[in-house]
Amino acid sequence: MTTQELNVKHKQEVSGAEHTRPGRAYVPDVDICETPDSLWLWADMPGVAEESLEVKLADGVLSIDGQVSLKEYDNLTPVYTEYGIGNYARRFTVSSDIDADQIKARLANGVLEVELPKAARAKPRRIAVSGA
Amino acid sequence: MTLYRFSQTRDPVSGLLELQRELDRVFERSPDFGFGVSGRGVFPPVNIFGDKDGYVVRVEIPGVAPDQVTIETQGRTLTIAGKRDVSPPSGGGFHRRERGSGEFSRSLQLADDLDPSRAEASYQLGILTIRIPKSEEAKPRQIAVKAA
Repeated sequence: MTTQELNVKHKQEVSGAEHTRPGRAYVPDVDICETPDSLWLWADMPGVAEESLEVKLADGVLSIDGQVSLKEYDNLTPVYTEYGIGNYARRFTVSSDIDADQIKARLANGVLEVELPKAARAKPRRIAVSGA
Repeated sequence: MTLYRFSQTRDPVSGLLELQRELDRVFERSPDFGFGVSGRGVFPPVNIFGDKDGYVVRVEIPGVAPDQVTIETQGRTLTIAGKRDVSPPSGGGFHRRERGSGEFSRSLQLADDLDPSRAEASYQLGILTIRIPKSEEAKPRQIAVKAA
């Protein structure tokens, strides 16, 4: 199989939590990948600008909050709609083996990339075995 | 065609709620627009808005670089095609995989009063915006009344 048809995943609203901001919040789709050195996270957040995106790690919880600007929708009348427009929010519990000072986040083409480097003690280490 | 108008409020929060309500209301209506859209549920999702100059099609394609998208018009058909590539760093294992990847293609039928030859597209923050103006003949025109 060389090509694969993409299906739309309908946006899910954030549920089961108190909101700190009014308005709708959607759960962004994420991929989380682990390499020997780091954890990587990508989140689809179309419409969120760098300055309205907040990535925070506090008490072992990584939180991502993105605000969508509605300025471009001024003077436009919806005619046909398939996706909702709103902010994005999601929380993850992160193990304590992450080096919090080294976390890097980048936003490109509506996708947030977060690199969470593992603390030195959590990285796999090869132990040399010496002959007797 | 019934037209819904956003409120003119400057408060972003109530503006947001208002917008969402309008969207929901439109969502439940049966589609009877000058726009032939088929394939609800096919990637990428589209929203279509109208203003006095024409239509604005907004497509959410996060993670697709602008050079990976092609937009084509043929007669009254507008086709948006491209590829979304989500490649992980090598040597990694996934804990969670929710973002789809692959090729996509979607066509919209344009209404007769639009002029696809003057359509313009831009891409920002993962959202593709295509503006299709109305043809000159379809634009409202004011006719001056001469005094007799």
